[in-house]
Amino acid sequence: MAMEPQKQVMLRIYLVYALMCLFGGAIIFQVFRLQFVEGEYWKKKADSLSTAYVNIEASRGNIFSEDGDLLATSVPVYDIYMDFRAPGITKELFYHSVDSLALSFSVIFGDRTPQEYRKELKTAWIEKDRYHLIQRKISYKQLREVKKLPLIRMGRNAGGLIVQQNSRRQLPYRLLAARTIGYKIGEVKPVGIEGSFNEELSGISGLQLMQKISGGVWMPINDDNEVEPRNGDDIITTIDVNIQDVTEQALYDQLVKHNADKGCAVVMETATGKVISIANLTRMPDGSYGETFNYAVGYSSEPGSTFKLASLMAAFEDGLLELDDSIDTRGGKMQYFGQWMRDSHEGGYGKISLEKAFAVSSNVGISQLIYGCYAKKPDAFVEHLRKFHLHEPLKLQVTGEGLPYIKDTKNKLWSSTSLPWMSIGYEVQITPLQLLTFFNAVANNGRMVKPKFVDEIREHGRTVKKFDTEIIADTICSASTLAKAKTILETVVESGTARNIKNSYYKIAGKTGTAQVGYSKLNKDRKISYQASFAGYFPAENPKYSCIVVIYSPSNQLYYGSDVAAPVFKEIADKIYATQFDLHKNTEPLLATEEKTSVPVKTGKQKQTAQVLGKLNVPSSINGSSGWVSSVPNDDIVEMKEKDFPHGTVPDVKGMGLSDAIYLLENTGMHVSASGRGVVKKQSVNPGTKTEPGKIIQLELGL
Amino acid sequence: MREQKSALQNTDKVMISLYLVLVFIGWISIYAAVYNEDHASIFDLSQSYGRQLLWIGASFFVAYMVLIIDGKFYAQFSYVIYTAVILLLIFSLLFARKVKGAEAWIDIGFFKLQPSEFAKFATCMALAKYLSSINIRIQDFKTKIISTIIIAIPLGLILLQNDTGSALVFISFVFLLYREGLSGNFLLFGFFTTVLFVLALLVPKFELVGILGGITFLFFLFSRKSKKNIAVAAGVFIVTAGIVMSVDYVYNKVLQEHQRTRINVLLGKDTDLKGAGYNVNQSMIAIGSGGFLGKGFLQGTQTKFDFVPEQSTDFIFCTVGEDWGFIGTFTVIALYMALLIRILFAAERQRSVYTRIYGYGIASIIFFHVMINIGMTIGLAPVIGIPLPFLSYGGSSMLSFTILLFVFIRLDAYRMMVLR
Repeated sequence: MAMEPQKQVMLRIYLVYALMCLFGGAIIFQVFRLQFVEGEYWKKKADSLSTAYVNIEASRGNIFSEDGDLLATSVPVYDIYMDFRAPGITKELFYHSVDSLALSFSVIFGDRTPQEYRKELKTAWIEKDRYHLIQRKISYKQLREVKKLPLIRMGRNAGGLIVQQNSRRQLPYRLLAARTIGYKIGEVKPVGIEGSFNEELSGISGLQLMQKISGGVWMPINDDNEVEPRNGDDIITTIDVNIQDVTEQALYDQLVKHNADKGCAVVMETATGKVISIANLTRMPDGSYGETFNYAVGYSSEPGSTFKLASLMAAFEDGLLELDDSIDTRGGKMQYFGQWMRDSHEGGYGKISLEKAFAVSSNVGISQLIYGCYAKKPDAFVEHLRKFHLHEPLKLQVTGEGLPYIKDTKNKLWSSTSLPWMSIGYEVQITPLQLLTFFNAVANNGRMVKPKFVDEIREHGRTVKKFDTEIIADTICSASTLAKAKTILETVVESGTARNIKNSYYKIAGKTGTAQVGYSKLNKDRKISYQASFAGYFPAENPKYSCIVVIYSPSNQLYYGSDVAAPVFKEIADKIYATQFDLHKNTEPLLATEEKTSVPVKTGKQKQTAQVLGKLNVPSSINGSSGWVSSVPNDDIVEMKEKDFPHGTVPDVKGMGLSDAIYLLENTGMHVSASGRGVVKKQSVNPGTKTEPGKIIQLELGL
Repeated sequence: MREQKSALQNTDKVMISLYLVLVFIGWISIYAAVYNEDHASIFDLSQSYGRQLLWIGASFFVAYMVLIIDGKFYAQFSYVIYTAVILLLIFSLLFARKVKGAEAWIDIGFFKLQPSEFAKFATCMALAKYLSSINIRIQDFKTKIISTIIIAIPLGLILLQNDTGSALVFISFVFLLYREGLSGNFLLFGFFTTVLFVLALLVPKFELVGILGGITFLFFLFSRKSKKNIAVAAGVFIVTAGIVMSVDYVYNKVLQEHQRTRINVLLGKDTDLKGAGYNVNQSMIAIGSGGFLGKGFLQGTQTKFDFVPEQSTDFIFCTVGEDWGFIGTFTVIALYMALLIRILFAAERQRSVYTRIYGYGIASIIFFHVMINIGMTIGLAPVIGIPLPFLSYGGSSMLSFTILLFVFIRLDAYRMMVLR
């Protein structure tokens, strides 16, 4: 190298400068290329390739019973995935944890063996799957366990756990009013309250930014929602869970007893039209019963004798008939234009009063009475039925209402036999709820109110909409007609077909119905089945509730409304009567105040017992400081004795109410199975013995 | 020697201005990168941008301290500082906590210290001190060895911490050595080794050896058949063939899994956009979609939705690219180039050899950081986790680059007083 040192240094300096400028230039060139030459490509990628806003469903509102029990709710369920490219998952760590991870998954989910999980995880690891599905629809509890597992507990970023929350609809009371509550499954049109209030329940879905990764899978970018969903409103129904339970159970028992195809029962509050219970049961192919169709709302059929009330009221309105008008039942059968009409009672009842004819449900009697009044002017009869609003649908809060069918004389199908058969509830069709609405109007002194299923809509516990009782007609008939109608309905239970449900505590008014289904004037070969029904209200003097029970196709010989449907009515009415003290005639206190009677006191928490006794002004003494006490009622003072439950032993729950007993026992880890009501009389595991978690202890309750 | 009247006396205002502008761009870019609507204030200390402001403040204070310390101090205490940092590295290797797989942080309560950042200027000082000593010539074999050792100790320790990116930075000192007289052959050798390594990964290696053999044979045919030429040709062939054949071993045994993937991604052999290519792809989308003027401040979608991992630290450049477009990126690159050229210019005007070497050292470090960092965000360099000087979020890097630069500014201001 012949260069002078100074020049050589300068060359080196320039070389360094040049090198820097070269790199700088290369970078600027590449940026230029990215932004201009390939700009459109990258822009498109930024816009569409990898991200999109994806709807996140708002959590659906709850459906509550009238008194705040949950009828339908959404519980969160989680889909969990693992990102095997998470920075925290190193090869060493993965192989170190995979066995325990696989075992834990197997234990928590129980659907696959540890070996299967292990294989699956290893495959996903080798493929570096960024979105490997571990399990769908796990509960929050399971999720909590999963989050404690090795690898995963390092957190989303390091451990690679990806959680997506969904929800599953649950009916805590399972069958109870299930069909009326309804359901919403996928894209199928939702039914019941879920259907008709879908908009309110649904809320407004939010948006979350998701990223598309290989395989067309969308993965949430971060855990924050970009647009928070607005959760659905809650629906407060008019359903009373206890009465619903009674209704469902009574209907079920009767369906089983009579081997019937299906049935429904509805209880309605007279003044407000609130449907406090509605049960619809259908026999399933396997012989059990399930709520699959809302017969009360949706099934329009010939009602039979229950319709006679409307027929007679029409005639009362026109002043054509009185209660003591007499009629000859002609040996229980007669012909209209060559068509036989029969009474269920062979041989008829002879010559009886109108009231009696209604009470024994004589087809021959009632049809003659009506035919006598309206043979020449059937239009007037039909006009009355229309005035009773029997021809129009109720436009209910739940969807799927069956349409009533009341023929008029202009109808092509109107014939000379139409009038007599319509008078006894044939050649007309009506749903159980529509008929109940009519009976309820009678109970409600002529005011017809629309049945109501939903009372309020609430948002975060705040009422946003209240549904007032809708009045269909202020009065459907005159006061005298009403009085007559009530009288004949009461007679039915007093001395007529439904006298089997008469009781000494409260009065029931109603009408039985036994319709022949498949009955045809023209085709006698068709197989006849029956539809047994009872519609009425109670207490008859001051009606609070009306109720209809319809049982379709009972098949154990018995098919009369009185035998099949009325007992269900009675059972429901009994339970309501027993629990609703304001229905009781004598409201005087059971305990005379002057007389000292020993007070039965449940064993329970000392503080609460003392509080109750204090409120009732019952003198008490406390023995012991706090905790649980058993109370010994003496003549003038209730003595409270402290109870001690040593840890790890079965507590003595005798004398306690069920809730206290369950609280104590379940706390020890045992499971309680109870029967009867009142306070605990017997417990299957002796107090003081060692507790065994998971063991079932049976309690017998009594008063 | 005169009394120093103010900290800024005789300082290079161009360098200080460039520094301030870059720091400011960094701060607002961090704000844009991690912008959080719930904490919209740029001064919010719960967010990275608020904390970065604290670091900037701390850096200004440290810069001031650096400027008021006597210029002789740095040269005199070079070895002490170097030793202290080496001890800190050893300490961190033994006691530090792991962050992203690298044992590089010492947690001292409010602040997680990253000693590898401070090793850069310490090594720079030690190297400058050694090479500026009397009778030291880089051409001497002994000098080469000692220089290599000065570089290799921190490099090795940082490699042991598994922080390959920071370790690679020390390679940039080769520029400094070249300026001080190291034969260009070393640079050429390094360059060709890299080329051969890449080629060996792309082309089947026996064909490559065949090609090398062919080239050697042609050289042999057309050159004078002297003994020396034959020996050189044979030697070159053996070394190159050896490099090619050893690539497999280095690639499979020496490099770690993630390093292999990063190389594959850069070479286009691994098109998998889910893992290693993800960062680069997202970053290129961010910069590429910025266009000429950018999407506007805080308007970048890639940025806003946190597509680019490490965006406030290693990938801060794509925020600039997306929000400010070509104008922004060009400005930032131009600012860096201006700063580097200014440093080199200032280094050349020194009468003190120590200051000159130190200047070249910091230029090399900043240059390497800028080129590799920006290069990786636009797909020109493999993803090596090193910060962009003055822009990236992080206390250690902010402080260490500030010290790095201001020590030089201080030395430069002192130049009038040396050998007067």
